[in-house]
Amino acid sequence: MKRSSTPKNAAPYKADKAPGARSSTGRPWSLRVRLLAIIGLSLVTLWSLVAVWMLIDVRRELRTALDDRLAASARMVAGLVMQLPRESMAAGKPVESALDVVARDGLACEVSLLRGEVTMQPVARTTSSPGLSDVQPGYSTRSFGGKLWRTYVLQEGGIRVATADRIDVRESLLRDIALTAGIPFAAALAGSLLLLWFGIGSGLRPIERVRAALALRGPSDIAPLPDTQAPPELRPLVDTIEHLVGRMQDAMARERQFTDDAAHELRTPLTGIKTHLQVMRLAARSADGAPVAQQALADAERGVLRLQNTLDQLLLLARLEGLLQPASPGLSFADVAAKLAIDDAQAGQHAKGRVRLFLPSRTIGLAVPESLLVCALRNLLDNAMRYSTGPSEVVLRVEMHENHTVAFCVCDEGPGLSEVDCALATQRFWRRGASSQGSGLGLSIVGEIARRYAGSLQLRPRNPVGLEACLTFPANSDQQTSADVSQASE
Amino acid sequence: MHILLIEDDELVACGIVAGLRLHGLTVDWVGTAAAAQAALDSFHFDVCVLDLGLPDEDGMALLRRWRTRGQSLPVLVLTARDAVEYRVEGLQAGADDYLLKPFDLDELLARLHALHRRAAGRSVNQVNHGPLSFVASTGEVVLDGARIDLSRRELALLRALLQHPQHVLSAERLRDSLYGFEQEVESNAINVHIHHLRRKLGPNIVETVRGQGYRLGEAGW
Repeated sequence: MKRSSTPKNAAPYKADKAPGARSSTGRPWSLRVRLLAIIGLSLVTLWSLVAVWMLIDVRRELRTALDDRLAASARMVAGLVMQLPRESMAAGKPVESALDVVARDGLACEVSLLRGEVTMQPVARTTSSPGLSDVQPGYSTRSFGGKLWRTYVLQEGGIRVATADRIDVRESLLRDIALTAGIPFAAALAGSLLLLWFGIGSGLRPIERVRAALALRGPSDIAPLPDTQAPPELRPLVDTIEHLVGRMQDAMARERQFTDDAAHELRTPLTGIKTHLQVMRLAARSADGAPVAQQALADAERGVLRLQNTLDQLLLLARLEGLLQPASPGLSFADVAAKLAIDDAQAGQHAKGRVRLFLPSRTIGLAVPESLLVCALRNLLDNAMRYSTGPSEVVLRVEMHENHTVAFCVCDEGPGLSEVDCALATQRFWRRGASSQGSGLGLSIVGEIARRYAGSLQLRPRNPVGLEACLTFPANSDQQTSADVSQASE
Repeated sequence: MHILLIEDDELVACGIVAGLRLHGLTVDWVGTAAAAQAALDSFHFDVCVLDLGLPDEDGMALLRRWRTRGQSLPVLVLTARDAVEYRVEGLQAGADDYLLKPFDLDELLARLHALHRRAAGRSVNQVNHGPLSFVASTGEVVLDGARIDLSRRELALLRALLQHPQHVLSAERLRDSLYGFEQEVESNAINVHIHHLRRKLGPNIVETVRGQGYRLGEAGW
């Protein structure tokens, strides 16, 4: 059983490793390889072009030089033949007795006497000569017996001298020259690539140094890197990393504060519930404990309600913050949302009809989901009713503003908040004074909903007493344009 | 045992008060650091239960101030913040014990008794005084092998006397231990409980020191 479980356990481990291996192969090339590829390829291409250019030049020069040599030798032979007595040549010897001269392989020469316009009499030729009697005067390239020859024919004073050399001999000469010049060239290129590799390596060493310095730092180490460690080119990168680390540390501190606060908010009602339940058990044991037990039960229920409320608010806030963007723009109407919120807010309160609602004459649409708008308004109304005790009135006023925004203003006649408190009040878990009512999350939630849907929340102390909380959202543009059209047509 | 409870949450506070009262302790509750300071200035307490999250001042700061002023009242810190740093900080600030919310009422009680006992220099839960033996945590009183039933106030009176066996305790101090903040206490209420205690545990259990107060005497007849 155990033996069979081992490979099973090993399999997921391998599966874990596989994506790592894939990412290492799929990773972009190292900087060193990239630099080497870019500079090396450019070098190789450039020098290859230069080499080809040079080769073409050399080839042309070589061809000209060899052609000149061919012509010069023809002229030399012609000059020598001229000095011979004509009679000895023109003795009427047959062609087959023509003089054969041994010459270097690949080079051929033929000397003929011209008789009239078309006939000629060969006098002498090299043994390797392919038979140049029908070649035109001047330079030409001809194929004899499957081999290419370069020929030159000189006709002067009744003598015709034809010289030729083989193209493949010329080519092999060119190859030899190219090889002699090319090997050192290629060696130099390879050497420069090698130097490039090491040079890039040493050039990139500061990056490695900075990396090592960054790796050495502990998670809470916020001291900046010493200036000497990063070259000027890397400084912006290092600065950016440090800035990012700083921001992350701030965020972590905030998260920790939030966790602490959330722990406090959740544990406190839980403690109340637990304590009251234990009191109930204690009271049940004593003879005259019935009233104490009743009270403890009521208190425990109060605690459960509070815990539930805090949990609901926390979950709502978490969900709101989890939304990357408004998932669905949603649509709601200001008057409907206001009425729903008032109904909700008054459901749990004894004082029915404490909220007075003022609505504009026409219906205004908003691009906010109705559930969230109602939730935000309800939180504002709850706060207003909680902090303004007694029969005092809470007013919810919905106003359409000039700049196409809708304002929901909740006014109460409670103790209000100071200017400083107004700025603090939207922080999570902020509570006014010693009040243990509420979760301290209501205004955070309203603020978050406002932020999500391009709105804003403003708290202002009222004169002489009370607080005004204004939640503003942009009015739905479609609605707005249709209203404008209807106004224009009137 | 007269306990000062400093806790800003009304729900938790009334639970603790009810629970400890059912166990026969005298508990007074304040919700702010300022009220705690005022209570400490004018009453005698045996143990303090301190919640750190107070609305007007950080509980830790209050505790540190008390300690620098030489206030030696045993303090049990009660908090919902559980990070180890907080505990260390709390104990360094002068807390004698640390309890995390949510706690068990029985555990709170046991720790309060332990603090009270340690403050009197005792290391065991049971106090023996001649033929009388008293278990602090349960409030069980045994005299010459027989269990004696005492009322809540009588128990509190005996507890106060046993805690300071050599000292003369003023009537006012005994009144604090028995009634706490309760204002409407008749002037002879203490005398009534002393009378009952003498009837149950022997005539000399409480000695009257004329003009100063009362002292623990010998138990039994």
